[in-house]
Amino acid sequence: MSSDREQILTRVRDAVKTIESRTPYPDYPDDVAVAMNRLSGPSLWDNFAKNFAAVNGRPMTAHDELTTFLQEQEVDTGYCDPDLYEAFGKPLEALGLAIHKTYDRSDYDRYQFGITRASGAIAETGTVVLTDSETSDRLGALTPWIHIAVLKPSRLVRSIGDAIGTFGGESNIIWATGPSKTADIEGILIEGVHGPGEQICFFDESG
Amino acid sequence: MAVPTHRPVGKDVFFMMTCLCDAFYADVARAAVEILEHAGCRVHVPEDQTCCGQPPFNGGDFKTSREIARHTAKVFAGDWPIIVPSGSCAAMHFHGNSLQFEDESDREEMTALGNRTWELFDFLVHGLGLTKWEGKLEKRVAIHHACHTRGTKTGEAIKTLLGSVDGLELLDFGQGEQCCGFGGTFSVTFPTISAGMGTLKLDHVLAQQPDILVSADMSCLMHLSGLAEKQQRPILHQHAVQLLRAAMPSV
Amino acid sequence: MSQPVDTFAKQLKPATREAVIKSAALTTGQRVDILSRDFEDPDALRRLAGQIKQHTLENLDQYLEQTEASLTKAGAHVHFASDVASAREIILGILQEHEVKTVVKSKSMATEEIHLNPFLGQNGIESIETDLGEFIIQIDDDTPSHIVRPIIHKRREEVAESFEREGLGDYNTDPETITRRARVHLRSKYMNSGAGITGANFLSAESGRMVLVTNEGNARFSMAPNKVHIAVTGIEKIIPKDRDLSVFLNLLARSATAQQITVYTQFINGPRPADKPSGPEHMHVVLLDNGRSDVLASKCREILRCIRCGACQNVCPVYRQASGHGYRAVYGGPIGAVLSPLLAGKESFGKFADLPKASSLCGACREVCPVDIPIPDLLLRHRERAKSEGIPSPGSPPMEPFGSLATSPALWKTSMRASKALNHLPLGLMPIKPLQDWLAVRTLPKWQGGDFRAWLKKRGKEAGDVE
Repeated sequence: MSSDREQILTRVRDAVKTIESRTPYPDYPDDVAVAMNRLSGPSLWDNFAKNFAAVNGRPMTAHDELTTFLQEQEVDTGYCDPDLYEAFGKPLEALGLAIHKTYDRSDYDRYQFGITRASGAIAETGTVVLTDSETSDRLGALTPWIHIAVLKPSRLVRSIGDAIGTFGGESNIIWATGPSKTADIEGILIEGVHGPGEQICFFDESG
Repeated sequence: MAVPTHRPVGKDVFFMMTCLCDAFYADVARAAVEILEHAGCRVHVPEDQTCCGQPPFNGGDFKTSREIARHTAKVFAGDWPIIVPSGSCAAMHFHGNSLQFEDESDREEMTALGNRTWELFDFLVHGLGLTKWEGKLEKRVAIHHACHTRGTKTGEAIKTLLGSVDGLELLDFGQGEQCCGFGGTFSVTFPTISAGMGTLKLDHVLAQQPDILVSADMSCLMHLSGLAEKQQRPILHQHAVQLLRAAMPSV
Repeated sequence: MSQPVDTFAKQLKPATREAVIKSAALTTGQRVDILSRDFEDPDALRRLAGQIKQHTLENLDQYLEQTEASLTKAGAHVHFASDVASAREIILGILQEHEVKTVVKSKSMATEEIHLNPFLGQNGIESIETDLGEFIIQIDDDTPSHIVRPIIHKRREEVAESFEREGLGDYNTDPETITRRARVHLRSKYMNSGAGITGANFLSAESGRMVLVTNEGNARFSMAPNKVHIAVTGIEKIIPKDRDLSVFLNLLARSATAQQITVYTQFINGPRPADKPSGPEHMHVVLLDNGRSDVLASKCREILRCIRCGACQNVCPVYRQASGHGYRAVYGGPIGAVLSPLLAGKESFGKFADLPKASSLCGACREVCPVDIPIPDLLLRHRERAKSEGIPSPGSPPMEPFGSLATSPALWKTSMRASKALNHLPLGLMPIKPLQDWLAVRTLPKWQGGDFRAWLKKRGKEAGDVE
């Protein structure tokens, strides 16, 4: 008795055997589907920032932008990637916020913001790229209402095709294009569903 | 849907009246012949023509449809282009037949039939090169684009010719891409849905207060006008070719 | 005797129909806007995507094996499931092995096909839908009516009632409040779950990467706090290379929701790295056949290109009148009309043979399909099959008499002239069903049989040349 695997492969082989002329794999350029009208600004970051803001993402370039925002949001506790503690966590602690360098699952709702690394970004769509290897904790980037993804400028690419070219050996890549949302109820757009309700991308030009 | 390229053009043309015009719309067929002659064609109308075979085809009765299609091929044998005042009959020739004859021995002949078939307005504009229609007609016109003209140049051709008539105003209306709901026997097999679709279409069209509703297909107009009349909001309707004739200074 | 889809449309609540039409029409318009804004030739892109898919399907045996190898290399376990029973057993086995009691589920049409939730429930495992629309469907014991917008048929008042009934708060119709309540309620479910089950939008043979496309963050959450990830996907979801994703991802969201891209696009081909604190330690991919290989062998194989965007449903005028539930199966609208009779299996084709007839063959679906599926042609193939298998079709007049008439010119011409007599008869009283069905909602124009031919003859006598 053959296994499911054998059965399926046999059936598929038999099914395609009879096809007389096969459709070839089409030849097409890498940038066949780039939305050029969304890349009309003076720089990659400008284009990224514009497209990211268009989906209600918040692009930031200065620390006081971030601190002002967090203060307005009246947060008190956040998670921070230990590697980003010096540059981001410590200054916030100095302002009276509590910063955890280890995500405590038993208290997940405590974290109102999470600071982790972006592994890249896509200018064409306003997308922040997160990978397992450079994200200290998946939960730290996901459960808090506010997520701050810290991006090194050299990791910003132009298009979806370019971003696919940077996949390498990563086993888990997440493209985040703005805050989570739904329109399931009567088509009304609501932001902040299961993922963050605020998605920040911090352009980190330091060092 | 692939419309054949390099279809023949010439002074001598066959005219296919369609079973619908044969039964209900004599004046549409008349206007089409007159317009073709006005455009310089010698129009030949084979007496033994009946139908393109679409009604049984749509119902899945390919066997019956093929018999009718073969008869049609015989009746229209030759090299002349075949002009038909219906997007759906034309589509039957170059698309429907390609499906139902794919395993038949006379597939080549039926393909050749399709390769000679033009919907009327497509022929006038892209075959004969007519882009300006002399004449005047002050009317607000809503054009319903029949579904079987999707992927063809018929819609563009109607807009070009009617749009070139002095005084004619072409109206836009909501959800224009939506089907009228006729669909052949669909209209009686799915009466609720068909009427629902047609009523929606009428609502959108009538909201623009047109003087007249035109199309390249009388089937759509038969369904829409029938619905409108039953709903006591009758709508003036004509085949687009009748409008061309009406715009002419003398015919 | 009337057609089931038509009967369903007749008794559909006007408010529901209005909701469906409004939502569908809006998305249809927005889809056109975003495609024409971003691409000079969106149709060329659709055709390219269709070609990539067609090529893959025609070589699926090779791509299946390549996918299996890539996934295995990346650290995932690959399972093949022939049918519903097999898929369920595989999934149950994995869950039992890991002693999972609670599963969080991300939206997956493949899991609907195998009716996974009730099966797990019968085996003592709670499976919770996390996509907001699917969650609402689950608590209502309802079924989704649209591939992408599962509760397109529900109004906020109904949702408010359901939430109150489930103890999620007092009656409140505000969509934001409802959403927040779902967020709070489901967080603890995620955090305490043992496994996450998802579908997959695409599967790259080159890298084994499965792609998940969502907006809410529920798929991410289903794969962060727990130990096991199971992805269930049809074998037709495979595409050759990672680079092909730039074509498909640019078309999918625009076609489905008129977005450039969904909020979250995930690319996963293995469990979490050992040194990371969150993420599944085990990844399992279940490749489901369930009739797809039969479809691949048939003349309807193009339907397997489908990337489940729902654009065909949005634009379909029949769907707008009947709603998704009118199609009686997991998939509704144009794709459902093609797929359901096929996935039902050879013996059960007749059960769904009416669905392909519930169409005016308008072709709007074909124009919007991101993978260029010739849906109307496939519907016609189904109609031919139904006719040749002798499956009865209520309300469809037999066409053989018309065939006899249309191949006998003399008889035809005589009948045309004779039909004019009908103008003097009370058509409303004639017991000819199609006529009665027509006259019930429409008037009929006057019969003019033979008038054009008579005009030609007369002209011919005067002018000479018209034959």
